[in-house]
Amino acid sequence: MSHQDQFCGRTRREFLWETGGGFTAAALAGMLSADGFLARQARAADGLTPFVNPLAPKASPRPAKAKSVIFLFMYGGPSHVDTFDYKPDLYPLDGKTIEVKTFGRGGKKNEGRVVGPKWAFRPYGECGKMVSDLFPNLGSCVDDMAFVHSMYADSPIHGSAMLMMNSGRILSGHPCLGSWVTYGLGSENQDLPGFVVMLDQTGGPISGPKNWSSGYMPAVYQGTVIRADGVPIHDLAPPKGVDRPLQRRLLDRLREKNEEHRATRAENSELAARIASYELAFRMQRHAPEAVDYGQESAETLSLYGIDRAETADFGRKCLLARRLVERGVRFIQVYSGGAHNDDNWDAHGDIVSNHTKHAGRTDLPIAGLLKDLKRRGLLDETLVVWGGEFGRQPTAEYAEGTGRDHNSYGFTVWMAGGGIKGGVSVGTTDEIGARAVDDRFHVKNLHATILDRLGFDPDALSYFHGGLDQKLVGVEGAEPIHQLI
Amino acid sequence: MLIRRFFALGLAFLAASSPIRGLAEDFAKAREILSTRCLKCHGGEKTRGGLSVAGRDSLAKGGDLGPAIDADEPDESLLLQAIRYEEGLEMPPSGRLPDDEIQALAEWVAAGAPWPGGEGSEEVAGADAHDEEEPAAWPYAQVERPAVPAVEDAGWGRNPIDAFILAGLEPDGLAPAPEADRRTLIRRATYDLTGLPPTPAEVEAFESDPAPDAFERLVDRLLASPRYGEAWGRHWLDLVGYAETNSFERDAAKPFIWRYRDYVVDAFNRDKPFDRFALEQLAGDEVAPDSVEAQVATGFYRVGLWDDEPADRPLARYEALDGIVANVGQVFLGMTINCARCHDHKKDPIPQSDYYRLLAFFIDMGRQTGLETRKVGPERVEVMAAVSKGRDQAHVLLRGNPALVGPKVEPGVPIALGEAPTFEAGRGKRRALAEWLTDRRNPMTARVFANRLWQYHFNRGLVPSPNDFGTLGEPNTHPELLDWLASELVDGGWKVKRMHRLIMLSSAYRMSSRPSPEALAADPQNRKFQRFPMRRLTAEEVRDSILAASGALNDKAGGPWVCPPIPDEVLAGQSVPGQGWTVSPPDESARRSVYVHVKRSLALPILATHDAADVDASCPVRHTTTVPTQALGLLNGSFSNEQAATFADRLEAEAGAGDLAAQARLAVLLTTGREPSADERARDVAFLRSLREEAGLSERAALVQYALLTLNANAFLYID
Repeated sequence: MSHQDQFCGRTRREFLWETGGGFTAAALAGMLSADGFLARQARAADGLTPFVNPLAPKASPRPAKAKSVIFLFMYGGPSHVDTFDYKPDLYPLDGKTIEVKTFGRGGKKNEGRVVGPKWAFRPYGECGKMVSDLFPNLGSCVDDMAFVHSMYADSPIHGSAMLMMNSGRILSGHPCLGSWVTYGLGSENQDLPGFVVMLDQTGGPISGPKNWSSGYMPAVYQGTVIRADGVPIHDLAPPKGVDRPLQRRLLDRLREKNEEHRATRAENSELAARIASYELAFRMQRHAPEAVDYGQESAETLSLYGIDRAETADFGRKCLLARRLVERGVRFIQVYSGGAHNDDNWDAHGDIVSNHTKHAGRTDLPIAGLLKDLKRRGLLDETLVVWGGEFGRQPTAEYAEGTGRDHNSYGFTVWMAGGGIKGGVSVGTTDEIGARAVDDRFHVKNLHATILDRLGFDPDALSYFHGGLDQKLVGVEGAEPIHQLI
Repeated sequence: MLIRRFFALGLAFLAASSPIRGLAEDFAKAREILSTRCLKCHGGEKTRGGLSVAGRDSLAKGGDLGPAIDADEPDESLLLQAIRYEEGLEMPPSGRLPDDEIQALAEWVAAGAPWPGGEGSEEVAGADAHDEEEPAAWPYAQVERPAVPAVEDAGWGRNPIDAFILAGLEPDGLAPAPEADRRTLIRRATYDLTGLPPTPAEVEAFESDPAPDAFERLVDRLLASPRYGEAWGRHWLDLVGYAETNSFERDAAKPFIWRYRDYVVDAFNRDKPFDRFALEQLAGDEVAPDSVEAQVATGFYRVGLWDDEPADRPLARYEALDGIVANVGQVFLGMTINCARCHDHKKDPIPQSDYYRLLAFFIDMGRQTGLETRKVGPERVEVMAAVSKGRDQAHVLLRGNPALVGPKVEPGVPIALGEAPTFEAGRGKRRALAEWLTDRRNPMTARVFANRLWQYHFNRGLVPSPNDFGTLGEPNTHPELLDWLASELVDGGWKVKRMHRLIMLSSAYRMSSRPSPEALAADPQNRKFQRFPMRRLTAEEVRDSILAASGALNDKAGGPWVCPPIPDEVLAGQSVPGQGWTVSPPDESARRSVYVHVKRSLALPILATHDAADVDASCPVRHTTTVPTQALGLLNGSFSNEQAATFADRLEAEAGAGDLAAQARLAVLLTTGREPSADERARDVAFLRSLREEAGLSERAALVQYALLTLNANAFLYID
């Protein structure tokens, strides 16, 4: 066996198996053909066994349109008929009880009292896209955005629907989209995690860390929670009373001891990897806080993201951090709008007006600022921005009184922008009242396939061997990307 | 039933409007529809679900779900079910076809699906390879005790294991690595059997024990320790996917499920024979309904995910059953029967009916919830045990879809394993299954468990994919040794401690982990076990060893779980921070990791970063990853810093305040089991001094930093 057939002193097959394995031929070929992949690895003392950093950057199997993804997760489920899916026929039905099949938190129903859309829509941009008055700022970006109005998912219950949007399955235990992306592409920046998650100020979403879990993949591919201010990463800062020179002293002596230990164990490349990991950690401590230091940003930029206004400052900082992380080569950034329970997120069961006014008010300007800032910096072409919740909301009221809407996984809207997605396009439709997707329907798997496709993967080929199967984000049967958008 | 009614209606409609039989030319439109609507994914660019619509033959052959057209009952053809958007199958997925196109296809199928030239032009794709396989090839062949091989070097081996290992080395001119020194051996054996480091006194006693049976007595002492069951019980908990909450939105705690964890720990400590261990877990409620222990054992069935608010109730029920079938298949049989849920296994001789015949043993349990308990035994102990409800009939589910009910099936075991008894549905069937699992005629259970014993001792199985002995698994490096171990296991009455002794008292187990240059060149991956494989501590061992070094470890065994503190920044990821994690008092928080609450949606950071088992499925092999976040946690995290302070207290108390050399010696001894060399000690002392003299730390603060350093060292984290 030639040395080129070996990874880390193991055969390819073993390497793949031990690292959790199961790259399909395409992904493997991509990994191996990446010029410099091996050269980037430090070599262990025997000269044979490269230190394979599981997060080392890897070339995508096919030419990629997008390098990074920013997934703006509107947790709780925004109402599509009140935001981007214009339903003129729904307004006059307000208050009328009609026959319509719905399935939400309140179970399956065959009729319901219509809640007419509570905001006016008006056309924007060259494409003339109708957008509700909840999003006047995003309205100015519609020529860069592609709307999918015919999304559907397998569950109208938050916990399982969140897992579906994040991992493609309603059961926990499967890796999230960000895990798949870092598994397939590694990370361009070893000073920052490759997959980061920013939570809402009110808390995490239902099921918490399951939403950024790497499931059956190694923990290196799980999402890291990062804060948009202060110390961005847990355990990044030394404890009280320890400064950087002191920690360096400790690391220097630790390194000496570890090198002595390794001297008679040179064949074990894990030992070298672990020594290197302390140096990487030390570098992270210096470079990661720089990512959340907004001192170099102009007042105009801060204002663009709404950081100068109380209502939008929090989400604005997160959107700005998202751009700064993209600039620093972070692959997958997920930003939650909404946390915890009830009206702390988009879950408007009682009063759609107060709920959506609050959440759209906090996010409209920052997201528009993000799109504009990415575009003027030439980053939008290689950054795929995705906006959506785990489902949409019903056209009818949940309760006898009030304007609240129950969950709706039969039909809802997501939009994407940048990263090789056509702008000013809308695909798919729900029925005339927005109760369910009818034409050009797209499952969550198709959304995932579209994201993987833009990143340079064949969605059907990106796989990981587990439990006797080549597991895929898009399921064993695979899924098509949304061809109308690419 | 619903589907049947639908078909009856559809048939009546069709009978009025369709011709009896037609010519191919009459149905050009139908084929056109197939071509424009379906071919791209089914036979064109892709062949999704194994189905091609490119010809009549390929439609008749069908895909993973079976034939797409049914000549005998055309209107029940899968093709028509799919395009009609009947429950579960919706094709094309982008939207239902117009009614006239559906009708055109229905008429064409009813007319016998005529195709120009009679047949499709392309070859029939997707023929499964395993149809023609001969039965009973490895790994399904009977276990026959192999002869112990003859070897040239008769002096090295202590027992037959060594002959098998040596027989693999000698043809390559390789010699086994020399015996490891005493300090290495006691550290290796103590971690191996107890998951904890040896104390300095134990190290010294063993090192100075001149008796030839010193190692034997060491192994016996460790096997008798209650810490043994905690370490080996943890392995079993990995395999069954043990967790104490239900996942999903509420991730509620499973009441009293910790009794199952204690049952597993006790079973290992008391050397319960593995056949009995299997029987109690699979059928304790049937075998000994009045025994608390046997009832608790059936908690095996209760550790999985449970959706209290499923979007699709029948599907949720089968998901729960799938967890059980996957576990029984992989954990006991080393077979990925779970891959045959939707269609025949792609690579192994496991037809889809095998999955549902195995499921039939458990079908009564599909409705148990993640919360219910019951009181058992004379003392009415509250337990979370198997719940059998109703007497359901099992069916094959087409494509694994509960809405597409196929033929009835009776309980049965995989056909690849050859002759098996007939199993009766009804009470007692799980007992019969458990008895068959450990019957000599079933080759898999003993092989699979013997392989796991080897794996946990040697850090890699003889079959390196211990849950999958099939085609997609990794090849067996030592088939004869494995069958010999399996024979020993069964012949020895399935006694596990006896197997530990056998393996650990071999010369192979006592080898040094240092390779010679020749061995490294010839076998860099150590596939032949020329040397003992080094390994990193597991997640639990990392945390428990830190507690052991600092002296804080509370070795109280058993009982309800404990919740050590988790930093607020980590709790912030929960939708209600701190929910389901009521922090235990400090002494309880310092208990072994096997007693730490296993909450599916929240993990203790030090365990999660060091590759603890993912609990949503069986975990056959722990990952070992090396990333900077582990270093950050051990350097800066609150747990390691608090323990470093406690460790410093201990060093001051036991080595004497101010005696830097004695403190350094003790710290190295407690974290590595070794005496530091004079040079190492001198440089550690110099480091301690420099912290005071150059960095301006107090004596105490300097010692805390030094203690933290020793808890970060590779010599602490790795075992030779």
